[in-house]
Amino acid sequence: MKRDAFSQYHPAVNFVFFVGAIGFGVVIQHPAYAAAGCVSAALYYLLLRGRSAWKLILSMLPLAALLTLINPLFNTSGEHILFRVFGRPYTLEALYYGMAIAAIFVVMMLWFGCYNAVLTSDKFTGLFGNLIPALSLLLVMVLRMIPNFFRKMKQIIGARRSIGKGAEKSGSTKEKIGQGMTVLSALTDWALEGSVVTADSMRARGYGTARRTSFQIYRMTLRDWVLLALMVFLAAGVIVAGGVRAEFTPILSIAPLTWGFAAYCVFLSIPTALHIKEALQWRISISKI
Amino acid sequence: MAHFHIQNLSFSYPNAKKESLSGVTLSVEKGEYVVLCGKSGSGKTTLLRHLKSVLTPHGKRSGQILFCGVPIDEVSKQDQASKIGFVMQNPDDQIVTDKVWHELAFGLESLGCDQKTMRLRVAEMASYFGIQGWFHRNVAELSGGQKQLLNLASIMAMQPEVLILDEPTSQLDPIAASDFLNTVRKINLELGTTILITEHRLEDIYHAADRVVVMDGGKIIANDTPRRVGEQLYAQNNEMFAALPTPVRVFYGAKAEGDCPLTVREGRNWLSKTFENRTLAAVEPDSEPAMEEVRNPALKVKEAWFRYEKDSPDVLRGVSFEVPAGSLFAVVGGNGAGKSTALKAVCGICKIYRGRVEIFGKDLKKYRSGELFQNCLAMLPQDPKSLFVKKTVREELAEMCREEDKIAQAAALCEIESLMDAHPYDLSGGEQQRAALAKVLLTQPRLLLLDEPTKGLDSFFKQKFAQILRKLRQQGMTIVMVSHDVEFCAEHADLVSMFFDGQILTTDTPHRFFGQNSFYTTAANRMSRCVFRNAVTAGDVVALYQKNREGST
Repeated sequence: MKRDAFSQYHPAVNFVFFVGAIGFGVVIQHPAYAAAGCVSAALYYLLLRGRSAWKLILSMLPLAALLTLINPLFNTSGEHILFRVFGRPYTLEALYYGMAIAAIFVVMMLWFGCYNAVLTSDKFTGLFGNLIPALSLLLVMVLRMIPNFFRKMKQIIGARRSIGKGAEKSGSTKEKIGQGMTVLSALTDWALEGSVVTADSMRARGYGTARRTSFQIYRMTLRDWVLLALMVFLAAGVIVAGGVRAEFTPILSIAPLTWGFAAYCVFLSIPTALHIKEALQWRISISKI
Repeated sequence: MAHFHIQNLSFSYPNAKKESLSGVTLSVEKGEYVVLCGKSGSGKTTLLRHLKSVLTPHGKRSGQILFCGVPIDEVSKQDQASKIGFVMQNPDDQIVTDKVWHELAFGLESLGCDQKTMRLRVAEMASYFGIQGWFHRNVAELSGGQKQLLNLASIMAMQPEVLILDEPTSQLDPIAASDFLNTVRKINLELGTTILITEHRLEDIYHAADRVVVMDGGKIIANDTPRRVGEQLYAQNNEMFAALPTPVRVFYGAKAEGDCPLTVREGRNWLSKTFENRTLAAVEPDSEPAMEEVRNPALKVKEAWFRYEKDSPDVLRGVSFEVPAGSLFAVVGGNGAGKSTALKAVCGICKIYRGRVEIFGKDLKKYRSGELFQNCLAMLPQDPKSLFVKKTVREELAEMCREEDKIAQAAALCEIESLMDAHPYDLSGGEQQRAALAKVLLTQPRLLLLDEPTKGLDSFFKQKFAQILRKLRQQGMTIVMVSHDVEFCAEHADLVSMFFDGQILTTDTPHRFFGQNSFYTTAANRMSRCVFRNAVTAGDVVALYQKNREGST
């Protein structure tokens, strides 16, 4: 991932943004809103991933087209009948509706792509560690256990191969299953043995003696609060202004745009704007040197 | 007031016939550096675990333990957690979380520290231990040495008054181990933290200790300054004498008089002074026959190249060597040089992409699957645990071979007859090693590969292991071992090779090999090179010393 200004903010700020962007994106079917979502999500995803972003974005196009074209096959209500398929009407309104659904789908996929790049697993656990300390510790321990498990499995299989006890390619399925079970049971023994030590190590460091606190590696600073406030303000604006109603079938009826749309556009372009602002600042400061 | 005062402590595990600790009385003063040593199973770990209530094993107990004058059971759990730090053997299993920063904070989180204190303490620890560079990393990416350092740092973050370390370096390579032990020493000197440590590798810490306590069969048999303990063990003709640092063994072995040297430097000065202005009758151990051209090698590797992934750097970069049949061939070299990979390439687990491997004159690729590991080649992996898949040692051996008499034979050779019905995980490190070896031997290999066989073994088990290897060679087996253990290789190998940067650089007999090196060599050689030449074991130095003394008187 490329260096990104928005990712440097507190995970809570990142999280609130994605909740807003994905939430609005899914709920609001208004075509203008959906278009704004598509453009800003694609733009931000491009900034995050660089050239490799095109792969996801381009693969979205046929999918979106498919979703659009399929919808009228199932949804037959609407005034303007384009043609009939097996006697069922294929209407213009349903086609528009399909477009809206496709747009929602694309917006969601792209925002989740951005989400994965910005909110890494350690940010997520760091964010929710304070709310549910026991659960987050469990999560952290599981995250550590899984790769350990695979590493040990490889080790056992290697060790068994070097004494001629590996699963032969020519062996029967039954033999292979038998070998697999042996490795699995050995692995379980090993893991249990290790977990005794881990438990000792936890108790030796006072686990369970007091109410656990959680070390926060991320801190809310002033700029985090400012950005958070701005986001909440804009989101509230979108909700209060209204004008997001859009009905496609049986009669096309789309609400006129209000200033809520402007608020929505500003909201969605926050990460992109921050990214570009930082890139420009960096250019300028270098050119001054 | 003593920091810890143990009074007449006896302990036995449930269903055990013998006491694990009997009548132990010991007191540790504030700020002291105490080294606890003894054979595996002498009760060191059991004693250390009694010093922290949550780790204390269940069983029958009598006697008393006082921490700062208060019985240990009455010290609150929270106080014990923060004031008594405990570092265990296995670097990996001790770590709880997945991030370095989180692990550092774990103890503080458990104690319910507030953010501000935690932040400061974590920052302090990261700076003191030089962890800043890998503060944000995943724990899985760290080396063994870094993991153990992290364990130490995360305990030091709670600012303990006492630090108890139970064989902390047994799983580390020598360089990481001495780094770790130096850090422990630094903590003792700079912070005044009381240290109580058990170790096999006495070479690095013996001289620095204020006091050495020796245990045997659950009893304390010596408790004095390092110099005096050496004297006592020698006088008692105790088995533990073999575990003492080389200078001490040479000094007493040569029956010299005066102050016993503890470090290589002191040993060097002592030897130079003894033989000052004297012509020496002999300066070299009886010379070995020069290396001959190897005919019919058991193993021949020629220009082997290997890398793990398509785009990763090469690990083996043209490895070539020949192992004469019936010899013990040792490969030494630094960490991550590719030694273990070379062994894996020999048994075909890693497939080389260039070059060839010949085993008993036949190309590795021409062996059919199954044929290679039957009566031909076998490897003992670094961690013997990875070979154990059953509930008892007997079942482990039965997995390999049905014939009772062969099993009995292998068990007798590895001296594990008395352990046949135990669970493999209940054995000590040395016993596990021998059980795994017995299992490997049941494939009846003619060529045996060993990966770090002496890792984590105490000197007593090492001797035993060396005996077994000697017996196997008498039966005509060829052994290739990869090791960090320079002392072991010098004493027992026929040929030693240096592995560096994916290649084998030189191969020679131990005397010539270590005689030429000045850093990568045994303590005996470093200590005696000012007077003698090519003396690489304590035995060599003692023999030369006596020869020259006799000559002069």
